[in-house]
Amino acid sequence: MDDQSSSIVEDYAQSLTELTFNSRPIIDNLTTIARENPLAAEGIIDAITKRIYKCIPDHKLFALFLLDSVCKYAGNSYNILVGEDIFHLYSHVFQYSSEQNRKTKLISLFETWKVTKTKGTNFPLFPSEQLEKIETFLNKAGYLRQKSNSPSNDLSVKQLIGDIDRLLPIFQNKMAHSSNQKLHDRFKALTQLKALLGTQAMTQKDLQAVQSQLKTIKEQELGNSAITPVPTPAVTPRATPRATPISTPGKPQQATTSKAEELFQILVNSGLVNVEQAPVPGSRPVYNLVQPKAKFVPSTNQIPSNSTLQEILNSNLSNSISRLVYGKLKFDKLMVVSKQISVNFQDFLNTNNSSDSLELLYDAKSSKCSICAKRFANDLEGSTKKRLHLDWHFRINKKLANSASKVQSRNWYLDDFDWVNFRDDDLLEFSTNTGAIGLDNIKKEDLGINGSGKPSFVQVPPSDTNMNNKCLVCQENIKASYNDELGEWCWFDCIRLPGEGPDSRKIIHVACFNEANKKRGPDGDLNAKVKREKI
Amino acid sequence: MSLPGFGTSISPEESAVTSSIDIPAFSEWRIEVPFRTYFKFKVIKGVAEIFGTELPLNVEIQFCGVKYAIYAPLSEGCTIEYATTPNKENMTNEVDDVVEYLSEETVMKKYINLHLGLEGLRQQISDHNIINSQKAKNGPRVLILGGKCTGKTALAKILSSYALKMDSTPILVNLNPRDGVFALPGSITATPVSDSFDLECAGGWGFSTTSGTLYHNPKQPIVKNVGFVNFDDNLDLYKYQISKLGLTVMSRVEEDPKIKSSGIIIDTPPLAIKDISLIENIISDFEVNVIVVIGNERLSIDLKKKFKHKLSSAQLDIVKVPRSEGAVEVDESFVRRVQEETIKEYFHGNYKTRLSPFKTELEVRDYSIYKGILSLDLASTLAFLPAGDSYTADGEGDNDKQEENSLDKYYSLLSEPSPSNLDNSILAVTQLAQKNMLTKDLLNTSVLGYVHISKYDDTKGKLRVLLPFPGAFPRNVLISTHIGFSD
Repeated sequence: MDDQSSSIVEDYAQSLTELTFNSRPIIDNLTTIARENPLAAEGIIDAITKRIYKCIPDHKLFALFLLDSVCKYAGNSYNILVGEDIFHLYSHVFQYSSEQNRKTKLISLFETWKVTKTKGTNFPLFPSEQLEKIETFLNKAGYLRQKSNSPSNDLSVKQLIGDIDRLLPIFQNKMAHSSNQKLHDRFKALTQLKALLGTQAMTQKDLQAVQSQLKTIKEQELGNSAITPVPTPAVTPRATPRATPISTPGKPQQATTSKAEELFQILVNSGLVNVEQAPVPGSRPVYNLVQPKAKFVPSTNQIPSNSTLQEILNSNLSNSISRLVYGKLKFDKLMVVSKQISVNFQDFLNTNNSSDSLELLYDAKSSKCSICAKRFANDLEGSTKKRLHLDWHFRINKKLANSASKVQSRNWYLDDFDWVNFRDDDLLEFSTNTGAIGLDNIKKEDLGINGSGKPSFVQVPPSDTNMNNKCLVCQENIKASYNDELGEWCWFDCIRLPGEGPDSRKIIHVACFNEANKKRGPDGDLNAKVKREKI
Repeated sequence: MSLPGFGTSISPEESAVTSSIDIPAFSEWRIEVPFRTYFKFKVIKGVAEIFGTELPLNVEIQFCGVKYAIYAPLSEGCTIEYATTPNKENMTNEVDDVVEYLSEETVMKKYINLHLGLEGLRQQISDHNIINSQKAKNGPRVLILGGKCTGKTALAKILSSYALKMDSTPILVNLNPRDGVFALPGSITATPVSDSFDLECAGGWGFSTTSGTLYHNPKQPIVKNVGFVNFDDNLDLYKYQISKLGLTVMSRVEEDPKIKSSGIIIDTPPLAIKDISLIENIISDFEVNVIVVIGNERLSIDLKKKFKHKLSSAQLDIVKVPRSEGAVEVDESFVRRVQEETIKEYFHGNYKTRLSPFKTELEVRDYSIYKGILSLDLASTLAFLPAGDSYTADGEGDNDKQEENSLDKYYSLLSEPSPSNLDNSILAVTQLAQKNMLTKDLLNTSVLGYVHISKYDDTKGKLRVLLPFPGAFPRNVLISTHIGFSD
C-alpha cells in the first residue's frame, strides 16, 4: 500500500512538471487521480505545494489552479491538508503573478473560495481565519473593495499582522537557504512585533511607523541591496473582481504597477529571477529562478556580534529599522561604543580603540567630492546625494560665471518663530522644495509649472519668428521644438518670467528658477518689501 | 575702504616660492598667519582637515589672520603645498611671518572618542525616536567649558563637523559674545550645522543667507543681541538673552526631528567655578546632559561636587578632555582684528563672494535707539543715591518712565544721540516694529540684522548708515551696541 502510494506520488510529481500552461485536460486529469487516491493525499498535496513554491513564476498560477480544483472536487482530506497553508500559497502566487492575472484570476479564485463549501458538507472549503488573512492581504494591496467605511489609508492592526505574515515566509525561505545570524534576528524581531501588535493597543501614528518599517524591511529583504524606496501610491488601484471564468486568459488590462509587481521587478533586477525573451516584438518573456551561488549576506561590512539577541531586546527593535550600508555600519560600530559609554564615558575617552571607528568618518564614505571634499557613502542614498551635490556645484558655477547674477547682499535673520519652523533642508543642495518663496503669491498654473510632473514649456509667441532664446539666469541657448499635442512651437523645461505677458520672450529654466528662489530668508510682509527680485 | 583680497589677487611675478610639507599620520601642522600675509595652500596628497572640516584635494585655499591646526587623521598622512604673499591692504607694522610647526602631541584621538561617544548617544536616541515616535527624546545637549584660550571653540567646531560627517545635524550654540558666529560680535547665536563650515570666511564659520548664490551652502542662525563683547559687562542682560535663546532653541529641537536626535553643542566664554550661577542657568536653559571640561581638573571636580545629585541620577555626565597644546594665547589686538573681519564680511563679503551693502541716510528722530547698560555704570549711578531712595529718572512723561523702569537693568533709551556715542558703531536692528512696542518685547526680540553708522550729523539729525542690502529699511527698534567699527 505504502509503495503503491509513493509511486503514485512520484508519477503525480512527474505529471505536474507538464503543467506549464493553463490546460484544463491536465488539471482535470490530475484532479481525477487525486480523487481516486485519497490514501496518497498527503503526498499529492506535498507535491503540489512544492510545485507552487519551486516552479517559475509564470507556472505558479496553474499549479494553484490545480490545487483549487483538487480541493474543490476531491474534497475532504485534501482541503483540510492544505487548509493552514492556503494563505501562504495564495500570497506567494499572488506576489509572483502579473497584474493582469491578479485582477482577473486570483481575485475571482479567492471569491470562489469564500462561497464554496467542502464537497458533501456544509463546512467552508478553507479555514475562515486563513481566508480572512487573504482578504486583509488583498485589501492591503488594494485589490478588494473595502467593506468598512474607514478611509483606505487607515491602518489596522490586522493589516499589519497580515503584512508581517507575508514577510515571515520570505524570511523562513531565506533562512532555509542561509544560516545568516542577522536573518534569524530579524525573523525573531518580526515575530516579536507581531505578538506586540496582537496584544497591545497602538495609536494610528505608531501603526504608521510600524508599517513604514515593515515596508523598508520588505524592500531590503527582497531587494537584497539598496533599492529606491517605493512610495505607496496615495490611491491604490482597486479592481472589481471580474466574472471571467478562471481558466480563460483575461483581456489585457492597463497595467498598473502594484506592490507585488514592483517586488517581482526587484527580483528581476537583483538577478534572482532570470528573464529570457526572444528578440522578437511581442514574444513572451520566460522567467527562471536563479539560485544564488553565494549565500545571502545583507551587508559585507557587518561585524558579527555575539549578543545580538540581547541587542534586540535592549535596543527595542532597533535592529528592525532599515538602514542602508553606511547606516548599518554606523549602527554596528556605535552599538559597541554605546555599551562602553554606558559603563563610563570618561574611561571611554581614554581608550585607544577609536581607530577602528575612524572608518565611519572617512573610508566608509569613500566617495569624496573633488570640489569641496564632502563625503558620500557608496550606498544608494550616498550616490543619489552625490549626484544632486555635483549637479548643484555645476549650477552654482554656471550661475556665478554669469556676472549679472553675482550681485547679492546679506539677508535679514529670521525671527524666533520662523527660525523654529525653518528646516535646514531648504538651504541644502538636496532640497526638493520647488514651491519657493516669491512663488507663494503667484499661482503655479500661471507659470506653467505643472505639479503633475508634465514637462513645463513656454509657447513661442505667435508673432515671433525667432525660435532661439536664452535662459535669463544661466544664459544657455534654448531652441524651440515642436509640441505635437498642442501643435505649437515651444521652449521646453522653461517658464516665462513671472509677471510677463504672453508675448514676452523672457524665459527661465525651471531648474534655474527654483534654484534662484530657494528659501533663503524669512517670509512675511517685511521681507516682501525688502527682498530684491533675484532673477 | 579696504577689503581683504580685493585688488591683491595673485599676479604671477608676485607669487612666492612654493614649499611643501608632509604631515605624518595623526600629527598636526599648526600655523599662525598674521593679517599682513596671505597664506595659500592646497592638499596634494592624503586627507587633511582643520577642526573637523575636511579639505578638498588640489583646491587652493587662502587664509589671512588665522591660527589653525591642519590635522592628518588617517594613517597615510598628507602632503601640503603652500606659499605666502603679503597682504598689501594691511599697512600695520605687525609681524608678517607665518609661524608654523609640526606637532605629534595632539589630543585629537580623545576628541574623536568624545565625538564617537556623543554619536553613540545620538544613534540610540534616533533609533528610540523612530520606534517610539510618541515619546521622542532629545539627543545629547553638550556644554563645553574651560578657561581662556583652551580651544573651546575649536572643540565645538570639531564636534559639530564630525557630527555632520556622520549624518547628524546638531545645533551649535555660541554663547561667547566676543565672537560673531554667523553674526556679528556682541551677539549670542544658535545655528544648525547642516553643512560644513566655510574655512575661508572670517572666524572660519561661513555665510548666513544672502539674496543670491553662494559657493558654499549658507547657514541660518537665530541671533540674540548682547551688545557687549564681554559677557560680564551686563550679566543680567546676558543671562536674560541666554534664557531666551534657550527657549527658542529648545522649541526648534522639539519641532525639527533631525535636530531633535542630533542635540546641541554649546560653546561658551571662559568660565570658572565662580560663574557657577551662570553655568547653572545655561544647564537648565538648554537642558544640558553632558558637560565637557577642557584641561581644567579643578573645574571638573568642582562641577562634579556641585552636580552630585544630577550625576547620581544619571541626568548629567561630566567628562574632561585635555587642552590641546596648539591652543594659543591670542592677544586683544588679534581678537579685535577678527571681529573687524567678521563685521566687514557681514556687509561686504569676502574675496570669493562679494556682497553689496547700501549706503543711505536715516532720520534719527524716526527711530528709537536703545543702548545696553554697562552694569558698572548702573552701579555707580545707584551708589550716589541716598539709602532708601528709589531710583526714578527725572524728566517729562512719567508714564513712559514707569514702563521704562523694567528695562533698567538691561537697556536705556538713547535720549540724546550724539556723534560721540553713535559715530563708527554698529546698530542691531531688532525684529520689533517700533509702533506699539512694549518694554518686555524689546528684551524678548531677536536680531533682524545690523547696520553700521559711519557718521551722525547732529545739525541735520541724520545718520549716515551702511545697510546690508539696498531697499526699504524697516521702522524697527534699534539697539546701539558697544561694538565699534570704522570702514
